[in-house]
Amino acid sequence: MGLLLNWGMFGVDMNVWLDAFLRLQLIVIVMTVTVMALIWVERKFVGRIQMRLGPMRTGPYGTLQSFADALKLLTKEDLRPSTADNWLFELAPYVTFVPVFMTLMALPFMDGWFVRDLQLGVFYIVAISGVTVIGYLMAGWASDNKYALLGAVRSAAQLISYELPLILGVLSVSLVAGSLNLNEITLQQDTIPYLVLQPLPFVILLTAVLAELSRRPFDIPIGESELVGGPWVEYSGIRWSIIFALTEYAGLWAFSILGALIFLGGWQWPFGTAAFWGDFAFVYQLFLVGLKSFLIILTVMWISATFPRLRIDQLMSFCWKILMEVAFLQIIIAAIVLVYLDGAARDIALAVTSFGLLVLMGYMVNKSMQQPPRSERVSPVFAARSET
Amino acid sequence: MLGVLRSLGVTMATMLRKPVTIEYPTKHRKVPERDRAFPILLWDFEHDEPFCTGCHACERACPVECMTVTMMDNPKFAEGTSKRRKILDEFYIDYGRCMRCNICVEVCNFDAIAMNNTWTGHEMSTVDRKDLVMDREQLLTLSKNMQIRHWTPE
Repeated sequence: MGLLLNWGMFGVDMNVWLDAFLRLQLIVIVMTVTVMALIWVERKFVGRIQMRLGPMRTGPYGTLQSFADALKLLTKEDLRPSTADNWLFELAPYVTFVPVFMTLMALPFMDGWFVRDLQLGVFYIVAISGVTVIGYLMAGWASDNKYALLGAVRSAAQLISYELPLILGVLSVSLVAGSLNLNEITLQQDTIPYLVLQPLPFVILLTAVLAELSRRPFDIPIGESELVGGPWVEYSGIRWSIIFALTEYAGLWAFSILGALIFLGGWQWPFGTAAFWGDFAFVYQLFLVGLKSFLIILTVMWISATFPRLRIDQLMSFCWKILMEVAFLQIIIAAIVLVYLDGAARDIALAVTSFGLLVLMGYMVNKSMQQPPRSERVSPVFAARSET
Repeated sequence: MLGVLRSLGVTMATMLRKPVTIEYPTKHRKVPERDRAFPILLWDFEHDEPFCTGCHACERACPVECMTVTMMDNPKFAEGTSKRRKILDEFYIDYGRCMRCNICVEVCNFDAIAMNNTWTGHEMSTVDRKDLVMDREQLLTLSKNMQIRHWTPE
């Protein structure tokens, strides 16, 4: 029985399963509230960017809008096309949501507080978050709708493509940290956050998060103007809210906490783990992690409110011809620097090379933006036609 | 590439500006003085009677024939307290028909009719369209209560 005892959530010894269950319950509750808050924040923020007010009627400054929406979605009729594949159609929302939920299991929200402390935390997160695409494919296939299927295939292409630079970028940080455990990676950033040492992976992470969550400018799978709603055209009510609201915003939350931990120093930077309030330092830690992840979330919302949708070939070229190359270069260069340098020289070399690669990436994007479309480059007939 | 960063700057600058939205049903933007809602009748406080003499000029000019006017002898003229020989008896305007063309105001010889330049003239939705036919008292209420902002037609 000794093996089954854990140190428990509140310092009380309890069964590991009960302990994990209680922690999961806590995460479920916090996640639901966070998702509702994030929906409200996004509507307000995008509203202000478009010089609107956003929701104002429900509650003070529209704070209860998300609750009203949730109530509406939960009580709506759950429609299913008569030609749909029943099992796949009904299971797809869960298959999309469960991986996102499982990523939350390995994230330390404060020092040493996980559902489970995984030594391969980073690996686990990037591995498990890739499963979401199966849910999208299931939804698209089962809906028996050409728009849904097109959206599903597009999202499969996009998500699988952007998974790779994301993994490579995060791997580069793990290389520098010498660990795959998120808690350890965070604890190492007491003086310099990895954003300074590895700015390129941070940019890659931001881009990949935009693509993984199918947000503008990478919302090709959803594409309201061409595909109506992507894989979830046929969904309504509670299933739609599971797919869309929960998966999208919980994923945003999870990725932003991941970014806050491995790039912005989590609770560790700038004042150390137990800087304030002694025994209640976890409040400060929670606050710091929350603040940093909120900044990342706002950045993501800001970017997605600014840019129009990319074309699908631009999306693919950006991933495979630019992000992949610089991510690979980043790993190789970081490895070389780690082998041959030490101490302050190592930090400076890492920061300079990574920033140099960031500039290189900007240059490559600039170069590719000035090129004529592929059709014109490949076929002189097309070029002649577009000149007239 | 710099354009990408610049566009981010533009959106952030826009975010920091004041929203242009006005929360309409609770907050009303001030309507312009010569705003045209629906025609109403004006009240002559000096003689304590409407300006309108019931001359049918507006009724004849109305392109959509939304008005009905009847005229009667002014009892106050007989008493000598008013110079108006005739005064309006009944006045109906069907707001459901009116197209707010301002012609009735243009043709009125006595400046007795004006366009409602307050928000009450715009928020007229009713359940039954019969409720949109206004009688003499309804048309005069706004002017009697001094709720219409003063404006002299040229």
